[in-house]
Amino acid sequence: MASFILRRAEPKDVSDILRLIKELAKFEEMEEKVILTEKELLEDGFGDHPFYHCLVAEVPKEQSSEEYTVIGFAMYYFTYDPWIGKLLYLEDFFVMQEFRGLGIGSEILRRLSETAVKTRCSSMHFIVAENNTKSIEFYKRRGAADLSSEEGWRLFEIDKADLLKMTSK
Amino acid sequence: MCFLLTPLDKVSTPLWLKKKNTLVFVSSAVVMNFKIRAATKEDCKDISRMIMELAVYVKMPDQVKISHEELQRDGFCQNPFFECLVAEIPKEHKSKEGFTVVGYVLYFYTYSTRKGSTVYLEDLYVMPEFRGNGIGTGLLSKVAEVAKKKKQCVQLQLSVFDWNTPSRDFYAAKGAQDLTDTEGWHFICFDGQNLDNLANGAPKD
Repeated sequence: MASFILRRAEPKDVSDILRLIKELAKFEEMEEKVILTEKELLEDGFGDHPFYHCLVAEVPKEQSSEEYTVIGFAMYYFTYDPWIGKLLYLEDFFVMQEFRGLGIGSEILRRLSETAVKTRCSSMHFIVAENNTKSIEFYKRRGAADLSSEEGWRLFEIDKADLLKMTSK
Repeated sequence: MCFLLTPLDKVSTPLWLKKKNTLVFVSSAVVMNFKIRAATKEDCKDISRMIMELAVYVKMPDQVKISHEELQRDGFCQNPFFECLVAEIPKEHKSKEGFTVVGYVLYFYTYSTRKGSTVYLEDLYVMPEFRGNGIGTGLLSKVAEVAKKKKQCVQLQLSVFDWNTPSRDFYAAKGAQDLTDTEGWHFICFDGQNLDNLANGAPKD
């Protein structure tokens, strides 16, 4: 059973974050669309007015077959719905393939829910591509509602009740 | 996330006159001055009113949970969660109910792991009796300008319901790309030259 920690990303993590962003984009078959650089990630996430917040999942060196120890991440920021107020918006969420099925993704999502509740967010929002059935099932198992099934897009919401459920697990 | 605008093609022979602090749009029927400016705390009552008008239009008024006081708290605190611009008209053109703040755009800054800093347009609304006068275009362009100057944003995104053809046409006419065609959702993006063009078309202060 892998042991892992979740922590807030630090400036030294930008190289790993960019690597994981590209892995996720590759999975979505859109790798060439990532034009962001490490320098931009650093300025945008760790300057005076960060555009995003980031959690990273790290394993001990001996558990990783590669040289990496940062094996998952979640990037999020706060948005606003004029009907319900503050929201936590999950932009990217990824765990490297060989580290899936170990509860890392669940723990990341739980930690994010906790953050959402602590910061008085009404909801956590994100989008998922229609063909990403594994991810859709992962979210639906945790109480996510598909807000867009009639309109032709997939917008997922986890409301307060389910957020609280996740934080108490 | 709803946008109510009618395309400008409803007005024939438009003629743009620039005056200090206003952009005057002359149509064959009506002269309408309007000013786009940053919202103040005092505008929150008007903005809340228009948020509700938008919700009524999409038949979801019971979904509006926050008051104008909460809007004020969240938009005018030390680290605001959104920014807002309003469109204001002179008293002599006021609405039937006496309002002079007749449109708004509410937006915030987000982040794309593909391209970087982004401005996200959450709400854009013009009261029905004031549409067709360039107010929607003015609001949109001003957001693009502010985002570029203030935060060096590389793109503007928004989402539109797929049934909302007038709004989709409005954005398409300004160079927006529908990112949902191949991926199953609707997101609209302005980047590069299209964003510059939009910003260059913004009303001058």
